[in-house]
Amino acid sequence: MIRVLLADDHAIVLEGLRALLDGEPDIKVAAWTTDGTEVLKLVQQHKPDVVVLDLELTSIKGTAVIAALRDRPSAPKVLVLTAYNDGDSLRSALDAGADGLALKTESPQQTLTAIRQVHGGQLVFPQAARRWIEGRAAGAPGDLTPREREVWSLVAAGLTNPQIAERLGLSDNTVKFHVQHLFSKLGVKNRTEAALKYAHGPPR
Amino acid sequence: MTAPRDAEARAASRRLLATSERELQRIVLDMHDGPVQDIFAALSQLQVLERSLAGDAMAQQRANQAVQLLERALGEIRNFIGAFRPPGFERRALGEIVEGLAVQHETLTDQGVELDLPTDLGDCALPTKIAIYRILQEALANGHRHSGASRQRLTVHRRGSAIALTVSDDGKGFDPQRVLASEADVGVEGGHFGLRGIQDRVAMLGGSFAIDSAPGRGTSLTVTLPAE
Repeated sequence: MIRVLLADDHAIVLEGLRALLDGEPDIKVAAWTTDGTEVLKLVQQHKPDVVVLDLELTSIKGTAVIAALRDRPSAPKVLVLTAYNDGDSLRSALDAGADGLALKTESPQQTLTAIRQVHGGQLVFPQAARRWIEGRAAGAPGDLTPREREVWSLVAAGLTNPQIAERLGLSDNTVKFHVQHLFSKLGVKNRTEAALKYAHGPPR
Repeated sequence: MTAPRDAEARAASRRLLATSERELQRIVLDMHDGPVQDIFAALSQLQVLERSLAGDAMAQQRANQAVQLLERALGEIRNFIGAFRPPGFERRALGEIVEGLAVQHETLTDQGVELDLPTDLGDCALPTKIAIYRILQEALANGHRHSGASRQRLTVHRRGSAIALTVSDDGKGFDPQRVLASEADVGVEGGHFGLRGIQDRVAMLGGSFAIDSAPGRGTSLTVTLPAE
C-alpha cells in the first residue's frame, strides 16, 4: 500500500485527487493540507511514502518544504505537481531534490502513474532534464574512487545516507563526506541530479 | 532635429510593450490559478465517477467522452499558455532565463538545443529581457516547425553595451524575403508572431536584425539589442 500525503493550495484539487487516489487498490491518502507549513508536521505524524506537493503554496515555498523533507532520516519520496510546464518549474524541482514532476495540464492518470513510479524508486522527469544536467556537469566521472562509485550507485538506488552507512558498514559522517566529494566531482547539486546522471551513464 | 522625436517614440514603444506584457502575464497567472486547477480537479472526480459506472456501459461511455473533452481542453491550454513567460521573470538573471527556455524547448519538442552561454553574461533592462525571451522562443519554435533539423544552436553574448543572440540550424532553410512578405499583415496566432514579429520587436528597441537562410542551406538568425 502506497501511503500518500497531498499538499496543494487549491482545495478543489485536493478533493479531486483524494477521491481518485482512494479509489485505487494500492494507494491510500494518509493526510492532506492546503498549508505548506503543515506538511512537515503531517509527515512526522503520518510517515507517508510519497508526498505530492504543488510548488506554489501560500505560506511557504514548496522548494523549502522539499529541502526540509530531504534532511529527515527516512525521507518520503517527493512528487512535484504543478500547473506550470516551464523550465523554471523543472529547475526548481530538480534543484530542491524532488523525485519527480507531474503536470496539472496532463491527465490526473499521469499523476497516478508518477506516484507509483517515484514510490518504486524511479525518477520521473522529462527527458530534457537529464540532458540538461549532463550538459552542465563539467567534470567526467572518471576520477571517482571505487568507494565513491559504490556510494553513487546506492544514491542512485534511492538510499538515504544512514541507509548507505548501514549497507557499507561506515559511519554517517563518512558517508556524508563521500557524498559531498561525489557531488562536487560529478558537478551535481543534490541526490536527484546525481541519480539522473547515474541513470544516464553509470561509471564504466 | 529628428533625434529627440525618435527617442520619444522609442520610449512610447517601450511603455506599450511593457503594458501588453503585464496584461499577458496576468492572463497566464489567471489561467494557471483558475481553469487549469478546476479542470484538473474535475477530471479527477470524473475518473472516479467513470469507474463507479462499471455496470452501465452507456453511462460509462458518456463519462469517458467528458474525460476526453476535458483532457483536450487541458492540452490546448498547455499549448497556448506554454508560449508565455513564466512567473518570477523579473527577478531572474538573463542567463538563467535563456537556460530555462532551452530546457523548456527540449521538454516540449524533444529537439535538442546546443546552448552557448557565457557565465559572465550579466543582466539587462526588463524590456530587453522580455524581447530576448519572446524572440528566442519564436525563433526556436520556427526552427522546430520548419527546419527538420534534429537540433538547434543558440548563442547569447554581450558585446559592449549590447546583447547579441544567434539561433541557427543546419536544416531545410527558406527564402527570408518571401516569408517576411507573406507575413506582412499576420497578427499573433496561437502565441506565435513569426519572423515579422521578431523584426518589429527588434525595431521598437532600436536593435538590429539579420537572417541568413536559403533553401537547403540551413538558417541563422542574428539579433542585437541594447542591454539598457
